[in-house]
Amino acid sequence: MKPAELREIDRPWRIWASIIIVSILAFSVVFGFLILPIVQGRAAGLDAFTAICRAVGILPGSPAVRQPTSEAKAQPTTQVAWSTDLIRSLGQSTPAGAEVAQACVACHGERGIAADPQNPNLAGQSGVAIYKQLHDYKSGSRVHEVMNGIAQGLDGRQIIDVAAHFAASPRRDLDPTTAEVVDEDIVRLVERGDPARGLPACNSCHGFNAGGPMETPTLSHQNREYLARQLHAFRSDGRRNDIYTRMRSVAAKLTDREIDKLANFYATTLSY
Amino acid sequence: MRADTEQDILKTELWWTALVTAVVTAIMLAIIYAGLVHHINPPSNIETVDPKTLHLTGEFTEGNLGTRVDGSQITSRIVATQFAFQPQCIVMPANRTVTLRFATPDVIHGILVTGTNVNTMIIPGYVSQVHTVFTKTGDLLMPCHEFCGLGHSQMWATVRVVPEDEFKPGPDGRVTCDAR
Repeated sequence: MKPAELREIDRPWRIWASIIIVSILAFSVVFGFLILPIVQGRAAGLDAFTAICRAVGILPGSPAVRQPTSEAKAQPTTQVAWSTDLIRSLGQSTPAGAEVAQACVACHGERGIAADPQNPNLAGQSGVAIYKQLHDYKSGSRVHEVMNGIAQGLDGRQIIDVAAHFAASPRRDLDPTTAEVVDEDIVRLVERGDPARGLPACNSCHGFNAGGPMETPTLSHQNREYLARQLHAFRSDGRRNDIYTRMRSVAAKLTDREIDKLANFYATTLSY
Repeated sequence: MRADTEQDILKTELWWTALVTAVVTAIMLAIIYAGLVHHINPPSNIETVDPKTLHLTGEFTEGNLGTRVDGSQITSRIVATQFAFQPQCIVMPANRTVTLRFATPDVIHGILVTGTNVNTMIIPGYVSQVHTVFTKTGDLLMPCHEFCGLGHSQMWATVRVVPEDEFKPGPDGRVTCDAR
């Protein structure tokens, strides 16, 4: 067939396609810019002209009810605000960090692995998490008789250095033979959470590369006693430096048994 | 069925065109119906807020969240964060115009309140604001409806709608689920 013939065959299709598209467009304009604003505006107490102008974008759409300026007093649970520069510097281990870490040896061990299980291991912990906790001790958002004084003696740069230092240290070795048989419901809490109680899975934030808030610490290879004590503190409101009650609201829903078993799980199970 | 001739191919194409057109039309009609009858529409409020310092200053600090009565205005402020709402239960009176204001410090969330026309995205950097009137009393479920991470399916809150005469704000104008 010649090109002229082909064009002749295409002609009705072209015309109909154009008509259909133009009519859909026309309907959308009439419906979206005229009918819908008028009908919905009536319910919001707007006259037709204002509603149409707002839909088209000539008048600002909001707020339909003016908000009073908030005179609420800020009650931050922490003073930490993250920035890309801060997070980048927390990934760089420097010799200065090792020097600052000498002050931590007595309680947290020579290599960041605590001899007393009441104290947390720091080796291999997320640098972002260590930074946040030290910052909170310094500002008083988290309370501990020893740590508040120590953190107040550190400047901002030292906190970054020591956090990066411990983050780069190798974690505590776990002896897999000491791991207890774990109850099924505890594994379910860790991996899937409990939707009926609104409990997200522990691992949705604390798992390896899980996502979630960036300041969440890793829990595996941590000391059982320390983990259990923190969960109890969150539950009883004794510790409240978690942003937007993320941990307080979780711990409040856990039973004593679950707290003990979860602490045990993270302290003894490999690779979580 | 084998398409042997030009005619067969054309026929199949037309069938599928008709099917797709029908599906798209049905979806558009559903949206138009929801817009006209249920008054479901995208919130028109554009208001920015810094997600990095949301918890440090101003309206969305922890102590200022929840329902608060200010003169004749009833406003509830809620933060959606991975993977919970704060507060996890809010009280609202029935048959009064109320305002819900949402913000998030982390990722995109979304909410709907079951059986009502409250439905909005919550986007970092913006305040999502919805005005509505609750007509049914009782505990309404408010789930996160935008996948926000591994804990998304456990992320939900409750909107407790109480009769107007049982809605009693404290001296500071606040109403919480615990106090009832």
